[in-house]
Amino acid sequence: MSDLALHIPTDVIDGPVSLAFALIAALAVGVCVVAARRGLDDRLVPLAGLATAFVFAAQMLNFPVAAGVSGHLLGGALAAALLGPWLGVLCVTVVIAIQALLFADGAVTALGLNVFNMALVATFVSYGVLVLTLKVLPRTRWGLGAAAFAAAVVSVVAASAGFLLQFWLGGEEVGQSFGAMAAAILGTHVLIGVGEGVITAGAITAVALARPDLVHALRGTPLAQGPARTIKETA
Amino acid sequence: MKRTKFLVAGVLVTLVLAGFVSLFASASPDGLESVLLTGCDTADGEIAGGTCVLQAAGDHEIGGAFADYGMSFLDNDVLGASLAGILGALFTLAAATGLFWLLARGKKAPQAEPAEHA
Repeated sequence: MSDLALHIPTDVIDGPVSLAFALIAALAVGVCVVAARRGLDDRLVPLAGLATAFVFAAQMLNFPVAAGVSGHLLGGALAAALLGPWLGVLCVTVVIAIQALLFADGAVTALGLNVFNMALVATFVSYGVLVLTLKVLPRTRWGLGAAAFAAAVVSVVAASAGFLLQFWLGGEEVGQSFGAMAAAILGTHVLIGVGEGVITAGAITAVALARPDLVHALRGTPLAQGPARTIKETA
Repeated sequence: MKRTKFLVAGVLVTLVLAGFVSLFASASPDGLESVLLTGCDTADGEIAGGTCVLQAAGDHEIGGAFADYGMSFLDNDVLGASLAGILGALFTLAAATGLFWLLARGKKAPQAEPAEHA
């Protein structure tokens, strides 16, 4: 095996379950393509392209979370906050496809599994948490940062739960019980989620201060203070 | 900040992350991999003994010259990793922008309208 397998590799989840999730992922991404077109216009295209490249780059940056364990950004929360859920899913899906096809990161047969967890689950869960928390939190850079942080933490744990579901359906227990594995997976992904939360909150507040109109999660309501008051400006 | 300036700054930050900061990334297995390795001993990133889930994992179907964010045809690993990151980010930028451009065909942004409807 390779020494750097970041996503689900070959043969860890059996064929039928991989195929089933490939079909689910293909259907759901298809729905996202149709829905994303409604909110998309030619002005948004470069930003969506940039966000995708940023997620690709950020996924390479493994940070240590415990002794001998690292984690990396999944990008679902960032994509959901910047682009909304439909386009956000497409953004992360493009990243995962490029990683599997060009960089041998994540098996081609596991594309459906990886897209399901990191693009679909992470992005939609993030968006849900963002919408809920932004209803409660003040519209300041700190409120937005806290919402992005919460969305990122929950989304990473949800994505890892997606893997556990897939493993429960089509994986084979070796060396440890499913329960022990589930506890370990969820525990480490809380830590990874905290890392993802810090990065996502930093990136989103940076964009919101420079160009609040480019943050989908802020659409229609400006930040309450600071230079971000220029939300009405369009260029 | 002007839109073009913002986009250029974003691309530069992305390239620095992919081509330089990535060289300092942790080489430890990530959260998923480390749990799937439970029960195995590893040496130099390869499974040396024991039993664990990841033993079942086969080689990647494609592999290729850029496998694991390196360039197998370059002798210099650091240069290979840096270039693979930069080229990967540029390729992703081009592919994603192209795909989204296709998806947005015929949809013009409303002129002089403040942003979007909520």
